[in-house]
Amino acid sequence: MTSAAIYAALAAASHCAAGCSQKEAVWQSGKLSLYRYRPIARPAAGGVPLLIVYALVNRPYMMDLQEDRSLIRGLLAEGLDVYLIDWGYPDGADRFTTLADYIDDYLVGCVDYILNTHRLNALNMLGVCQGGVLSLCFTALHPKRVRNLITMVTPVDFHSPADLLSKWVSKIDVAAWVGEGNVSGDALNQLFLSLMPFRLMHQKYVDLFAGSPDQDRIENFMRVEQWIFDSPDQAGAAFREFVLWFYQENRLVKNRLEIAGRKVDLHTVRLPLLNLIGKRDHLVPPAASAALQRLVGSDDYTVLEFDLGHIGMYVSARAQREVPAAIARWLAPR
Amino acid sequence: MDHDLWRQWQAFASLLSSANPAPQARSASDGGFGFAPFIDAAERFTVAARTILDGAGNASARTAEEAARTFSDFLREQFADFQMPWSAGLGAAGVQPAPMEDSPALGPTREHQQRWQRTAEAWRRIDDARRRLQRLWSDALSEAATAFAARIGPPRVAALSAEAVRKLYDLWIECAEEAYARAAHGDAFCEALSEFVNASSQWRREVQASIEHSAKLLDLPTRSEINTLTHRLKSVEEQLRAASKTRKPRAPASGAKRARRRAKP
Repeated sequence: MTSAAIYAALAAASHCAAGCSQKEAVWQSGKLSLYRYRPIARPAAGGVPLLIVYALVNRPYMMDLQEDRSLIRGLLAEGLDVYLIDWGYPDGADRFTTLADYIDDYLVGCVDYILNTHRLNALNMLGVCQGGVLSLCFTALHPKRVRNLITMVTPVDFHSPADLLSKWVSKIDVAAWVGEGNVSGDALNQLFLSLMPFRLMHQKYVDLFAGSPDQDRIENFMRVEQWIFDSPDQAGAAFREFVLWFYQENRLVKNRLEIAGRKVDLHTVRLPLLNLIGKRDHLVPPAASAALQRLVGSDDYTVLEFDLGHIGMYVSARAQREVPAAIARWLAPR
Repeated sequence: MDHDLWRQWQAFASLLSSANPAPQARSASDGGFGFAPFIDAAERFTVAARTILDGAGNASARTAEEAARTFSDFLREQFADFQMPWSAGLGAAGVQPAPMEDSPALGPTREHQQRWQRTAEAWRRIDDARRRLQRLWSDALSEAATAFAARIGPPRVAALSAEAVRKLYDLWIECAEEAYARAAHGDAFCEALSEFVNASSQWRREVQASIEHSAKLLDLPTRSEINTLTHRLKSVEEQLRAASKTRKPRAPASGAKRARRRAKP
């Protein structure tokens, strides 16, 4: 019976682990781990390493979910030397960790490690979603340490008309919400699900049961499902700053952002910049990302739009075909 | 082989029921995001679609229109209790404080009474915001049901295959998402959601204060004390980092320098 087969496939897939590419933890600080991936192809010319800066929200293994759904594998196949930051799971002891700590301490530590290891002055950086915001801040503060910057589904203008999250949090007293604690990952999950409740809490599962009991399909579903709900708590101070400074006050666009007492002025970002946008992104509306072009001082700015949603940008079959190749093509002459 | 999605669905539901004797209880404990409500809704959708549309298949256009409206109303009712963040877990949030908002706070228990009054006030605000959100949710469902009835068209018996039922379901989801998005982007929804979160924050703060007070009486460590220590530790860590950055690294002597030093008498 088909339904029994689906049930059996789901049960069999319930413990399948995400992640497929071989990697090695090369540097650690607190709960952060910096991974370097083992090469699977001849190194691309230039040999400048690419550091992937993932978001604090959700876990970075989405970038390397399984063999046929791995952006990292695609980048390795293009001959790139890939590093990835795993921020870890903040706990109560991390509640006062600020954005300055993440950007000017942890991220600086990772970049310094890579530059020292490779005896380079600058590396390539790929910032994903919120990690793209952190990457932009880092680049503005340390322009000489980044050679090329790639931002992927990265919000920049947090007040674009389609940004539902921004509207929802606009009148929330974020200091009272966070208090002196962390913000629960479960609470954030509920918030994200509420953006499209019928599709995300209902139709998605109908699609699951309406499809074939093919084990690969079910395992893929379960890995994505694990990723969606494997949400770390957020360090309270950093979360408060992020909501207040970016979502509520839109400081990047208004050029009023300071990190660790230093101004983050996107006009000073003059390096080659590739901005990857999902045209059907419900979390980061395309207009929120596209605003980057008018804010940076870079002459070498490229934008690539994909007809994909937020998650589709990492794990869809189309993304596997198009995104790593586009990144490698863009990086090659730079 | 069974090609009917909805029969598959029902079979799957019964399998889940046999695997777990209390799916509803599990659903309540996991905040309403378990499979049980969703399976129930899918089953009811199938039954209603077949009953209503089968019956209207050979009827007049007016009867068919009425059937579509009845079906859309059914859907609205089915999703009225959908577990959204503002409705999940409220029942387990704690005992509602006794109403004493207006009584003047006097004497040695003044501070405690005022704290309880603030807690009660926060609870009242939470409940009020939750009702506003539920109303907006209900309005969105009504709007979705109207749109669905308008787009469903006259039912055709011949088209009542599994694929047709699935298309109906997808159409309902589309209508529901569109109506919800209009509501969710609106000022009234944003205001109500903000009020819900802000009042919940206030309620939590007051309850935390009550618990801390009790902890102090028993000489137990409180969160405030741990926070103070964490702040101090972080400050020391920052000073250490700053000191290590500003400390000038000793330049290693070059080979030539070392050689010159050795050559000196």
